Amino acid sequence: MLGKVGRVTAAVAPGHVGEVMVAVRGGTEAFNAYANDASLTIPSGTRVVIVEYYPPRTVVVSPA
Amino acid sequence: MELFIIGVVVGVIVFAFLLFKLMWRVAEPNEALIISGLRDHSDSGDTAESLGFKIVTGKGTFVIPGIQTVRRLSLDLREAELAIECVTKQGIPLGVRGVVIFKIGDDYASIANAARRFLDQQQQMDARVHNVFAGHLRAIVGQLTVEEMIRDREKLTQLTRASSGMEMEKLGLNVDSLQVQEIDDPTGYITNLGRPHAAAVASQARIAQASADREATEREQEAEALKAEARRHSQIKQSGYQAEIDEAAARAKQAGPLSDATAHQEVVVQETRVAELEAQREEQRLQATVRKPADAKAYEQVTLAKAERDSRIAQAEGQKQVVTLDAAAQAERVKVAAAADAEHVRLEASARAESVTAIGAAEASATRAKGLAVADARRASGLAEAESIRARAEALAENQDAVIGQQLAENWPAIVEAAAKPFGNVDQMILLNGAQGISDVLAQALSQGATGLALARNLLSGASKSSEPTGHDSNGKVTNAIAPSDAAKQGKA
Repeated sequence: MLGKVGRVTAAVAPGHVGEVMVAVRGGTEAFNAYANDASLTIPSGTRVVIVEYYPPRTVVVSPA
Repeated sequence: MELFIIGVVVGVIVFAFLLFKLMWRVAEPNEALIISGLRDHSDSGDTAESLGFKIVTGKGTFVIPGIQTVRRLSLDLREAELAIECVTKQGIPLGVRGVVIFKIGDDYASIANAARRFLDQQQQMDARVHNVFAGHLRAIVGQLTVEEMIRDREKLTQLTRASSGMEMEKLGLNVDSLQVQEIDDPTGYITNLGRPHAAAVASQARIAQASADREATEREQEAEALKAEARRHSQIKQSGYQAEIDEAAARAKQAGPLSDATAHQEVVVQETRVAELEAQREEQRLQATVRKPADAKAYEQVTLAKAERDSRIAQAEGQKQVVTLDAAAQAERVKVAAAADAEHVRLEASARAESVTAIGAAEASATRAKGLAVADARRASGLAEAESIRARAEALAENQDAVIGQQLAENWPAIVEAAAKPFGNVDQMILLNGAQGISDVLAQALSQGATGLALARNLLSGASKSSEPTGHDSNGKVTNAIAPSDAAKQGKA
């Protein structure tokens, strides 16, 4: 999971849980996303890199 | 023998196949195999060993019957319908019907979590999720306004993740979608929300329609006016032409009679001229034949009358002087004689007065006695006479005209004679106005007689009313009535 590139489908913002779509296991799955820099706002459509993975469905991302 | 060997081989093959069939289990794409029992030591990243069971997805695996058990966990999409009463951020009560679509997560952690919770209760999974999600939805709606709920899908999903994500992860579930299917709005908030806009749109529509209608009506009326104007022009022209036609026709119709009348007028004018000329000729002729001789004759007569008058005036004046001298001499004579007579009479009278006084005294007493006797006799006879007079007066009143007529008839010859008397004294009468003059004189005399007649009639009728109309009295009055005509005769002379 780590290092994979995904696409933000719901904006990641302080106090908001965002959503990213990541290609894994031959399909794409949606994960709840938080920003690596907590004060950062990442609008939807932005490409992000997964820097942390908290199973089962939470990732921490930073803009690619 | 060979056949036996072949049979044994086939039997072994069939047995091996059946054994393989019993031990080889395949996971379908939409399911996970949960294998528990003999610990599998293979430590690949794709399988997770936790709590001693193995999860297999998307491939086959050997399972040792009797030692290991295989359970299948469906990874299919599921949905739970929600129907809750809730209150929005503004405190407006709403009935929300929604559907939540979820599935078991595809990673081993989610499958493991779900397997531990739902493996024997896969059918009740929907009910469990419904119970969990009812509370979450109520919380979600409580953070939204009605407008956001209707319009802001992003916020709805974001809140869904925020409030339910962690909890769902515990269950190993992944929420794919939360849909609000229906909002029951008992206060009519949503209806009212759209009402101003709907009213504005309706009013704009009405305004547009009205203005379009007005414009159309205006155009129609303008067109009508233009049509009317055109009709008026055409009718005016038609009338003008018709008038010209009528005039021409009338003129043509009158031409015949007019020429006839003109010709007739010429004839009448000529005839009038002829009549005038004839009248002039007649007048000339009368002037020559009648008027001139008459004038000459009148002049002759006037001259003769004037000469006659002058001679008679001279004669009358001579007579007047003679008569005047005679009268003066006679007056002197009479005056002397009268003085002598007066002296004689006075003496005689005084002598006789004395004698008469004596005789009168004697006679008076005798007369009084006689008078008293006579008075009695008269009174008696007077009463009788009065009676007879009254009777006659009544008779007169009833038939006055007959009586008068009778009296006039009796006296007519005397009346006419009296009227003709003036002409008896005239020697010669010259009348300046011809035959008419004679008739005038006669008429005057006769009218004087007639006047006397009328007077007599009046007097007679008056007398018959006032006093006793004796025959003698009526005669005397008639004579008196004639007297003015005598006076007139003397004046003329």
